[in-house]
Amino acid sequence: MENTGLSLVTVVLFLPLVGFSILLFIPDAQSRNIKYTALGTSLVTFALSLVMWANFDAANPALQMVQRWEWLPQYGIGYYVGIDGLNMIMVVLTTFIMSIGILSSFNAHVIQERGREKLYYLFMLLLQWAMIGVFVVQDLIIFYIFWEVTLVPMYFLVGIWGGEKRVYAAVKFFLYTMAGSILMLLALLYVGTQAGTFAVPEIIAGIQAGTISFPLDGLFSTQSILFLGFFIAFAIKVPIWPLHSWLPDAHVQAPTAGSVILAGVLLKMGSYGMIRFLLPMFPEASVAWAPIIALLAVIGIIYGAWVSFAQTDMKKLVAYSSVSHMGFIVLGIFAMTSIGIQGSIIQMVNHGISTGGLFLIVGMLYERRHTKDLAAFGGIWKAMPLLGAISLVVVLSSMGMPGLNGFIGEFTILLGSMGSTVLGIGFTVVAALGIILAAIYMLNFFQRIFMGELDKEENKNLPKLEWNEIAVLVPIVVLAIWIGLQPAPFMNPSDATVESLVAQVVPDTTTVAQLPEAGQGE
Amino acid sequence: MLQLPSLETLNMGAALPAISIAAWACILLLIDLWIPKDRKILTVYLAAGNLVFAFIANLLVFNQSGDSFMGMYVADQFSGVMNLIIIGTALLSIVLSFDYLKRVGIERGEYYVLVLFVTAGAMFMAAANDLILIFVALELLSIPLYVLSAFRAPDIRSEEAGMKYFLLGAFASAFLVFGGAMVYGATGTTNLNEIAASAGMIIASNSSTSLFLLLGAALLLVGLGFKVAAVPFHEWTPDVYEGAPTPVTAFMSVAAKLGGFGSLLRILVVGMSAVTMTAGEPAVWQNVVAILAGLTMIVGNIVALSQANIKRMLAYSSIANAGYILMAVAAAGSPGLANEATRGALVYMLAYMFTNMGAFAVVIAVERANGGADLEHFVGLGKARPMLAIMMVVFMMSLTGIPLTGGFIGKALVFATTLNAGLVWLAIIGVLTSVVSAYYYVRVIVNMFLRDAEASTEEATPGYSTGVQWVAAVALGGTVLLGVLPTLITVLTDRVSLVASITP
Amino acid sequence: MSPLQEFAPIAVLLIIAVLVAIIISIISRLFGPYKPTSRKVSPYESGMKPIGSASRRYSIRFYLVAVLFILFDIEVVFFLPWAVVFRDMGLYALAAMGVFTLVLTIGLIYEWKVGALEWE
Repeated sequence: MENTGLSLVTVVLFLPLVGFSILLFIPDAQSRNIKYTALGTSLVTFALSLVMWANFDAANPALQMVQRWEWLPQYGIGYYVGIDGLNMIMVVLTTFIMSIGILSSFNAHVIQERGREKLYYLFMLLLQWAMIGVFVVQDLIIFYIFWEVTLVPMYFLVGIWGGEKRVYAAVKFFLYTMAGSILMLLALLYVGTQAGTFAVPEIIAGIQAGTISFPLDGLFSTQSILFLGFFIAFAIKVPIWPLHSWLPDAHVQAPTAGSVILAGVLLKMGSYGMIRFLLPMFPEASVAWAPIIALLAVIGIIYGAWVSFAQTDMKKLVAYSSVSHMGFIVLGIFAMTSIGIQGSIIQMVNHGISTGGLFLIVGMLYERRHTKDLAAFGGIWKAMPLLGAISLVVVLSSMGMPGLNGFIGEFTILLGSMGSTVLGIGFTVVAALGIILAAIYMLNFFQRIFMGELDKEENKNLPKLEWNEIAVLVPIVVLAIWIGLQPAPFMNPSDATVESLVAQVVPDTTTVAQLPEAGQGE
Repeated sequence: MLQLPSLETLNMGAALPAISIAAWACILLLIDLWIPKDRKILTVYLAAGNLVFAFIANLLVFNQSGDSFMGMYVADQFSGVMNLIIIGTALLSIVLSFDYLKRVGIERGEYYVLVLFVTAGAMFMAAANDLILIFVALELLSIPLYVLSAFRAPDIRSEEAGMKYFLLGAFASAFLVFGGAMVYGATGTTNLNEIAASAGMIIASNSSTSLFLLLGAALLLVGLGFKVAAVPFHEWTPDVYEGAPTPVTAFMSVAAKLGGFGSLLRILVVGMSAVTMTAGEPAVWQNVVAILAGLTMIVGNIVALSQANIKRMLAYSSIANAGYILMAVAAAGSPGLANEATRGALVYMLAYMFTNMGAFAVVIAVERANGGADLEHFVGLGKARPMLAIMMVVFMMSLTGIPLTGGFIGKALVFATTLNAGLVWLAIIGVLTSVVSAYYYVRVIVNMFLRDAEASTEEATPGYSTGVQWVAAVALGGTVLLGVLPTLITVLTDRVSLVASITP
Repeated sequence: MSPLQEFAPIAVLLIIAVLVAIIISIISRLFGPYKPTSRKVSPYESGMKPIGSASRRYSIRFYLVAVLFILFDIEVVFFLPWAVVFRDMGLYALAAMGVFTLVLTIGLIYEWKVGALEWE
């Protein structure tokens, strides 16, 4: 397993840092060079992540392309990266969204206005590095390092290039997420020191073998508290109702690319963390808490949809729709069936694509009209037919129209939660209601912007889409349709890993054979 | 009959780094008299050269444990690491001071001599294995600091700082002496190893003697608590830190803490770890120290929230940081954890040293350019002097405990050992107050980057002098290096073993 | 012998001292002439007026001299016991006191040079 050379994962992880270093030496004034260096870095990273996908063995549930270096051996902490069915597609999503984000900021108004262009792209690349790190790292401490490092560039992106109330939003974002994650630090320090190692696969193996155990007797015993320590951090990131209040602020105030990355990747770090760490490390606690969490998720689905419908601010509307969509993902995870978890993984990708697309569209409208008020628009289809057509696809994808990607994710999640042994059927029913609500608020969004009469004078002469705007929207539309029509290539890679994961968490409900030693009892 | 020691039994070679600094400070005091006023840079070189010499000497003897002065001074890996940190602090602060002293017109050679004395005092404290030497070293550390605080003498705030520090410091010393006397009364010795040997029996006997011992330990804790600015013995800190010349504040916020914690760890771990009610349980002082740590973190961080002056903010932050180190001290009370906790505390102190010196370097640069160190003076720094501002961001992040900085490594190790000691409540207080601290650290960043400068940036006053620039750069390098490659220091701290010297 | 008993001679000395003082005052009161005036019964304060504002100004130099005096006075306190046992302790004691004196001498030179000993 361990190879002596550089693993492809390591290369993908550190490429953004290479671009970061090159960028450092480009003078501030050379705007063109700065932009294209950043874009080039992200595109090369994306290409390499595709190579990684091509070399990925979908049938193997274990970690692949593993690389381990010592870092603090005496504490059992080491650099340990690898990909499996859970994180491979997340890495590709990250590199994809980052390329989109960087390309979309090329003629962003706010950067010209506030300046410091180089700093902006430096933060983008730093953010990319940290996000890839969060997904590929298999060591708790290093994971935490990357997890916290994502905070810093995002804080600056919101704080420097954000909207009117950017300082408030940035500080709120920082404190909120830090409050959650620092409790996770305690929990993971406890887990690591008890286990003697911080390498996640080893900890999970130890838990499976029964050599490491965190007792669970009752809802607030050791394992539960550890579980909650991790869960709260992830829940804030996702965000799960009622911990979502930072999200609308951050989303609304962030610059367009910031919102796209926030929705497209950063939120997924939370749901990914649940699958990667919560379920296998604390299986009993996960099962015990599943109904409560699923309840919160369902509340989030309905609440997000409801509030979204009431918004008059485009960005807020999309932000609350995120709360609703992420509720689906959490529900799928805590259904604890392989279908549900696979649905969650593909839904993470879908949400990244469609919500990212929505934020891009909102951003483009904002660039042209300098307002986010829904009432300021109407009949835009007539002024910008291309944007209208693209938006229609994205909106339909976001509301879960069959034939587009959103449907695949939501459908599999509902299927998975229906077959769940830990959740009742009620959750599925209410969640399905969320899909109907989604149709209402998304169509409302589309109708009020693009349909109707082009009756406002300012809207009549909106500039056409720039080349880079088209270049970021087209891949999104293509992917939305592609995943919708042919989801198999996107779902298959996670098959084997999810199967074995579910077997570890709820051994008695799966058909996988190697159960006797997997069960560990109380 | 009196046993007369010979020079060999004194074994002064083991204490060479500390002795060389103390001796050279005396000589430099004389040399400086004949250095003309416009060539005081020579004194700086002479002082710095001595520090570099001591640094190297300390590295050379790092692996050789030994004791000098008949067991009063122990040169082991603990004092080795402490010495490295202390000398590093002194070096950075000397470089930091030169321009500042020149600018405010208090350029006097005594300054550097006093810094050397403090350095020697801190080094003696970290290595002292005897209550008497601890007291003497404490005085050697404190008295020059009183003078340094008042060094900007006609300035009324500086005078107030010196006076306040002197009066409260004298109180603290009295507590320490009284505590030492009580411990001596209970055990009949001032040597920490011998105290350790008899302490367990005395506590087990549960007689009035054990009361003396406990009271003595408590008073020692009070005395050193003053020095490290632990709540509730912290009241002097903000006024002194704000009033003292800024490089002095930088220096004393680190050096006094290092000395204080060096002695505290030695007294508690070497001398008092056997002070348990029943064998195998945590030492009786663990809960007391833990409560102090909790209070210190809570009060330090919460009061820091409302500070508008960065120097004052950093003063409260230094109180809070004392709380985090105290956490490790408390954890050292659990059987078998002493070494792990000590190592955690050492890494934390090193990280704090770099971070704090760096932050103060930036404060000095801003004071010089913008005429003050209020939060308002940092507005727009990100535009006016981006390098400086980015450095400050790193230091603030390190103080918050964000990864890739030394502050994170220190905090992670300290939290881990606290959890291992079973002090979960304390660790939770620690992380929650870290979040509180994030607010006021981030506020500095907000002012530097997120609030556009309303005015005063175009003037572009000469940024910062070479010395300050160097210190900030070195501190930045240290902070980041420690965060990215902590092995560099854990290689040294792993050899630290405080308990091993317990056999008398 | 318990530790307290070792201090018995000192206790005796204290008692004798107190007794002698009391006896002498009583005897002088009994046998001496007694003509009180306001000057005579007022407390003796080195010639200063004992009543008046406490915050009178002194020259700062008094304090400097006082501090220097204390410094070198304490030196004698260290010297005295050393001198008593010097013969028994030999070279080691000489070296130790040498270091002590050296440090003091450095201090003295410093004082001299910075002008602390001059009364301008």
